Amino acid sequence: MTAIERYAAPQSLDEALGILQQGEVTILAGGTDLMPQTKAGRVAFKPTLMNIGRVAGLKGVTLDGQHLRIGALTTISELLRDPLVAQHAPVLAEACDHFASDQIRNAGTLGGNINNASPAGDTLVPLIVLDTEVELASKPNGSVATRRMPLAEFFTGPGRTKRNANELLTAVRIPLPKPGHVARFYKFGTRPALDISTISIGIAGVMRDGTLTNTRVAFGAVAPTPVRAPRTEAALEGRRLDAGAIEAAADAARDEVNPIDDIRASAWYRKELIHNMTKRMLDHVAQA
Amino acid sequence: MNVAEKPVIAPESLIGQRIQKKDAPEKAAGKTRYIQDMIVPGVLHAKILRSSRVHAKIKSIDTSAAKALPGVHVVLTAADVPDQQPIGVARDHLPLKGERVRSLRDEIAAVAADSEEIAEAALRLIRVEYEDLPIVATPEDAIKPGAPLIHPVPLAADGQPKALPPKTPIAFAGKPDNIAMRFDYTHGDVAQAEAESDVVVEDTFQLHYVTHCCMGVSGVIAEFDASGNLLMYSNTQVPFLHKREFAEYLNIDPSRVRIIQPPIGGGFGSKLDIYPFEVICIFLARAAKRPVKMVFTREEEFLASPTRQPVLLTLRSGCKKDGTLTFRQVHTLHDNGAYTSWGATTPFVMMQTFSSLYRVPACDYHTTVVYTNNPYAGSFRGYGNLQATFAIEQHMDMLAEKIGMDPLNFRIKNAQDAGEVTGQGMSFKSCGFKECLTTAAERSDYRKKHADNLANRDAPGPVKRGIGMASMLHVGGGAKIYPSDGCGTILKLDDFANVTLITGASEIGQGSETVLSQLVCEELGLPISAVTVVNNDTAITPWDVGVHASRTTFIAGNSAIGAARKAKAKILAAAAKKHGCDEAMLDLRGGFVVVAETGEPVVELARLMRNLHFSDKAELVMTTFYYEPPSVHQDKGFKGDVSAAYAWATQVVEVEVDTDTGIVKMTKVTGTHDVGRVLNRLGLEGQIEGGVVMGQGYALTENLIVENGVTRNPNFRDYKLVTAPEIPEMDITFVESMDGEGPQGAKGVGEAPSICIAAAAANAIYNATGVRIFGLPFTPEAVYRALRGKAEKPNWQAWKSA
Repeated sequence: MTAIERYAAPQSLDEALGILQQGEVTILAGGTDLMPQTKAGRVAFKPTLMNIGRVAGLKGVTLDGQHLRIGALTTISELLRDPLVAQHAPVLAEACDHFASDQIRNAGTLGGNINNASPAGDTLVPLIVLDTEVELASKPNGSVATRRMPLAEFFTGPGRTKRNANELLTAVRIPLPKPGHVARFYKFGTRPALDISTISIGIAGVMRDGTLTNTRVAFGAVAPTPVRAPRTEAALEGRRLDAGAIEAAADAARDEVNPIDDIRASAWYRKELIHNMTKRMLDHVAQA
Repeated sequence: MNVAEKPVIAPESLIGQRIQKKDAPEKAAGKTRYIQDMIVPGVLHAKILRSSRVHAKIKSIDTSAAKALPGVHVVLTAADVPDQQPIGVARDHLPLKGERVRSLRDEIAAVAADSEEIAEAALRLIRVEYEDLPIVATPEDAIKPGAPLIHPVPLAADGQPKALPPKTPIAFAGKPDNIAMRFDYTHGDVAQAEAESDVVVEDTFQLHYVTHCCMGVSGVIAEFDASGNLLMYSNTQVPFLHKREFAEYLNIDPSRVRIIQPPIGGGFGSKLDIYPFEVICIFLARAAKRPVKMVFTREEEFLASPTRQPVLLTLRSGCKKDGTLTFRQVHTLHDNGAYTSWGATTPFVMMQTFSSLYRVPACDYHTTVVYTNNPYAGSFRGYGNLQATFAIEQHMDMLAEKIGMDPLNFRIKNAQDAGEVTGQGMSFKSCGFKECLTTAAERSDYRKKHADNLANRDAPGPVKRGIGMASMLHVGGGAKIYPSDGCGTILKLDDFANVTLITGASEIGQGSETVLSQLVCEELGLPISAVTVVNNDTAITPWDVGVHASRTTFIAGNSAIGAARKAKAKILAAAAKKHGCDEAMLDLRGGFVVVAETGEPVVELARLMRNLHFSDKAELVMTTFYYEPPSVHQDKGFKGDVSAAYAWATQVVEVEVDTDTGIVKMTKVTGTHDVGRVLNRLGLEGQIEGGVVMGQGYALTENLIVENGVTRNPNFRDYKLVTAPEIPEMDITFVESMDGEGPQGAKGVGEAPSICIAAAAANAIYNATGVRIFGLPFTPEAVYRALRGKAEKPNWQAWKSA
């Protein structure tokens, strides 16, 4: 049974951060992860349940100088339809198109997907290869303080992040793409809808004259957190994207991931998928 | 209506029309009240404590804290119901387990409380001490010498087996080994037929666990009135059999048990047996002296409702160079789970497919059903036929390839015809099998695509296309598995010519209300809207043996037609008398009594009916009819013409196999079904489409993962039903073989559409890739492993001799 003693629905960031500062708070946004996890007994409610759905200014996509800024409460459905996302980060919209079902997309938020910190979280891999930063706000001494951190460094384990208990993830910032920027996302599930990733792959970089630079490769569901793949990146960085480079990168990808066996797939099969689909994605980039 | 306005009424027929299901508006509007929605005044809510160990002795159960929880009315364990009797096909299953648990689903205690939440809290307060026993996780292990026994024979104080009266049920007497049942069937001389064969193939096939996934989870409400009569609101598919069983169980007269079925949210065979939760709910109601309602959670539905029968099957088949089949030899090992339900009896159906789908001079079939600590299997749409067809139809392709014959021609050469009596004694009075084969092949362009795909196997690109076919034989005119296979009808026409059709046949979503109404209206010349169907109360409806074996349209349909024809005769006689004409000249059409030859109206039916009612010599139209099909019980060798008619189908499946991932995408299903005659075209198409999708799930995605007795994926996240974007294009056509015994010529079709899909998919994957896969399901990883030569081929040598 529930241990919730207090329900709070603050209207402003200031108010929300004040409640957080008091400690022992469970944050509720879309609830699509929180509700099943608490029901299944995997997550326990803290005494205060804070619904941040009414906090002003946490929703929507804006241009902020050379960055795309996405509020934490922006839903997956909104990302899927947003013209700025379509223009500057289409790979994120593509990931949203493979995200659960319409009902869950309508309720689930980007901030929630990040804070849930699942190794299989659908938006995490594309955000990582886009060099996304998270924005964390707190009110430690009576005034609001903000810090930023690369998303690639944010995760510490399944369900665990570097967010402090008194902090709220308010937004993510994605640098606007440079000329020649390419990005690809692939999610493998056993069916096209309503599935948890068996593996996912994100690849991004700047493609000029057949050569890839600023290479970013990230994988989901092959480690306790979504991970960058430095050796795969190194195999590609500055190289002509020919058959040899692609095969070498795919081999590097297979060798550097260390997935587990679970009921969704064996580790061996995950490594095979990482190899085969990294290769297929790079073939597509090369042919584009 | 003024008769003068409608001088002539032309004959019209409802048969073959597209008729909306009678319950569709309510269901589509979300207004149907399922058992979940029912509120009974004074009801208590019940929950069951299940075992947390796969196989263990129960050392102690402490319910004192649970009993002390405010809001708890009754807590029961086996010790509280010393009179409990075993349930199930083999009487090996006590609803509440007191001494030993044999699987994780086992019921140890039950609570009735003011709310579900309180009942759940009470379960958490019950302390159970176990002493673990070694787990028997596979049927191969269960038959090894010295394997731990699931139902050991109880020993007396002196260490000898307890002396028990003969016929003591297994639940009390135990079993000296883990063998629950055996089935042995043979016709012809297999050894000689094999010697005459030019080609022989032998393979072992592994069929997995799946479960029904009814949208409505299991539930029941039980209450006793002040006189001790039991009323149950139950989702059962067999109300009359259950009424008798519950009465026997409670040692009361069956007339004191009444079963009412609320609208049922899916059956598919899952509600064909008595389960512990139903008996436990009765115990709780008896103890609480209050109505008690028990509804499963979805997780509980996965863990504690029955599965499809998992089977390890070795098939040896032979043929001659000219394509004549010579023999089949079959050994199967059925994982019974810890208790015996209908899954154990699937060999009844499986052997029919092996012996009689094609003409085969010699067939030898053996099944051993063994106890394990796994979940137990029940009946499930197709009843073993998916498993048997998976093996047979792969061998048909393999034999054809070995002798270099076109797989379609090979099938046509060996297919049954009308008039044949098979080695098992099945007599095919109507048989559209060859037309199913040729129609499905032509419509799917099977021959050309099969050849093209073969030629393109080694073309560049990771995605390979394949096409494969499979056919099926299934009972289509009931199945005489009980002494009776009949159904009764009571028909009433009221004073406005509205019809009340009271039938024994239960509606479980299959559309029986609609098709039975249609058959009645066809006789009486009335619109479907004139019929009210009453079909859910054992105190009102006449006898029926239940919804199973694709029997309802055939059996209940013939019964309804019989009652309607009697009513028609009464009506025409009354009309003839009243209007001074010869009743043989009259007919019923468009709500009128008409002159058959001319269509000239004689009297409006509603008017005639009012006259018959409003009179001091009132003569009401109320008729009854009972239909028993002309089928026979099988003899001890499983031979006999068990069904009044047999259904046939061929399905062609097209796939795309991504060889980089192992994903098999089903792109198209072309199905041709011999249904005897199309009655409700819309209902029939719906039945076929739903069945195809169920077969697709069995083939590709659904897999109840049971490891060491533990169900690993009791949820829809990890148990993968087919979702809308995966459903293939379908081309469904019908062969109308006009069965002489069938209602308007129709045969049963309920189970047929699920049966062929997995087998046809296996053949399609082979056509695409050259790799044959002998185990289900074809999940991406399983297919990928097979493509890389890493699949573990099932091995049968270890248990062949068991």
